[in-house]
Amino acid sequence: MNHFKNNSKNKPAASRREFINRRNFLKLAGPFALFLSCPAYAFDLFKVIDPNGQNSDIQKAKQALEGLTGIVQSAEGIDYKSEFTIGETLALEGFQRFGLPVKNEKLQKYVTTLGNAVAKNSMRPDITYYFVVVDTPIYNAFACPGGIIFVSRALVKGMNDEAELACVLAHEVSHVAHKHALSSVRRAKFFESAAKLGTLNMDGAEGKQFRDMVGNLQNVLFDQGLDKGMEYEADESAMDVAYRTGFDPNGMIRVLKMLQQKEATATSKGSWFSTHPPLSSRLKKCNELQKKYPDAGLMATVKNRFQTYRKML
Amino acid sequence: MKRPLIFSSTLFFCLFFFFSICIAATTLYVTSENAELKTESSSSSSTIVELKRGSPLTLVSREGRWYKVTTLMNETGWVYRGKVSEEKPEIEETEEDEGGLGGLLGGLSGSDINADAADSSRSIRGLSPEAKEYAQTTGTPKQSQDALDSVITRTVKGQEIDQFLKEGKIGEYAD
Repeated sequence: MNHFKNNSKNKPAASRREFINRRNFLKLAGPFALFLSCPAYAFDLFKVIDPNGQNSDIQKAKQALEGLTGIVQSAEGIDYKSEFTIGETLALEGFQRFGLPVKNEKLQKYVTTLGNAVAKNSMRPDITYYFVVVDTPIYNAFACPGGIIFVSRALVKGMNDEAELACVLAHEVSHVAHKHALSSVRRAKFFESAAKLGTLNMDGAEGKQFRDMVGNLQNVLFDQGLDKGMEYEADESAMDVAYRTGFDPNGMIRVLKMLQQKEATATSKGSWFSTHPPLSSRLKKCNELQKKYPDAGLMATVKNRFQTYRKML
Repeated sequence: MKRPLIFSSTLFFCLFFFFSICIAATTLYVTSENAELKTESSSSSSTIVELKRGSPLTLVSREGRWYKVTTLMNETGWVYRGKVSEEKPEIEETEEDEGGLGGLLGGLSGSDINADAADSSRSIRGLSPEAKEYAQTTGTPKQSQDALDSVITRTVKGQEIDQFLKEGKIGEYAD
């Protein structure tokens, strides 16, 4: 027995490397096979096999694949500038779909200041967020990648205090911080061919892929909605971020209860009712989270200031 | 004879474990962008140092919503509880990404760390050239372009946020 052990220990380095390579070959066979059919999935498999990027052989193979195809590892991994540009194009579509900004600079500035105040305590505090109240009777709010956040006049008007608005804005900030929208369209063709194209020509094939991807994003954010798990994650984060800033985290619960009351008579298509999980399940989860904040009642609600701005709607 | 020995040694280990936990210092991490170390547990007290996001702090004591902490540079002061966490925040690495999608959409290398610089220049020029090109190609109405332009040129300074929180008596500015 000892003989075998010693033998294996004393193997020359080259043989050991060969052994490692063989072992890794089996691990790499999967991604390579997958690469032939769908490159984006191959990179996901790399993440599963070597999540921390510690295996140098696997990392080299991954880099080789990237070099061959010019594939961006994932939609979530894109740089801020590109993320923001995608957000801009989506915002252009958002204004056409949900209406133009409410014409009141004081109100817009108020919401932008509040939004950025909570964003400073979010998990992605180092980018600037942009907030806009759009003139629509639909109860809705959504976040474009890069940090352009829409909230509807109806939703703000339905609220009673600043803590409630802070929670809704923090919910949307959380979607941006987690790059939830981009995760939802990670399979888009655009991300598979983007890096080798050089510059984007809107008239060409790559321009079409870009517009298709923006179309997919519209479908996700305006109609179909994000994954349920992402919404619950954003609710949890919203309560935490609002509390950290100094607001009553129960503002989230009050907004959801308000929406529950409005649900029967409100327009469903393109609203929070159709793009978010059922209010009852969100309320249940938020009520459980409430226990984390025993002094929530002592936190700020800032009702008077909110009401001053609400009257402008 | 053996029983008392087992009992006393178990008691000794339990006490040792208990005191070890008590003595072990709690490490906190700065999670917010605008955290400051104050001389007292009040926002009106003077600032010792601005705390960098992700930097570790040793918890000394708690007083209401304020934590007394010590920095790695051995500076002791107070920080508002909402600015720190026991969990280390994830901070995205600064990576030059000229060959990536950043190159595709405007040729600027981008990272979240450089976001402020990008924002400053954007606030002057408004819509990015890529968004303008998209608007032209898709026939986006001028009203929508102007709307977006008005939104991304509206920026808020850190001082304005502080003043806003102060007026609302929110967080570290609460009575």
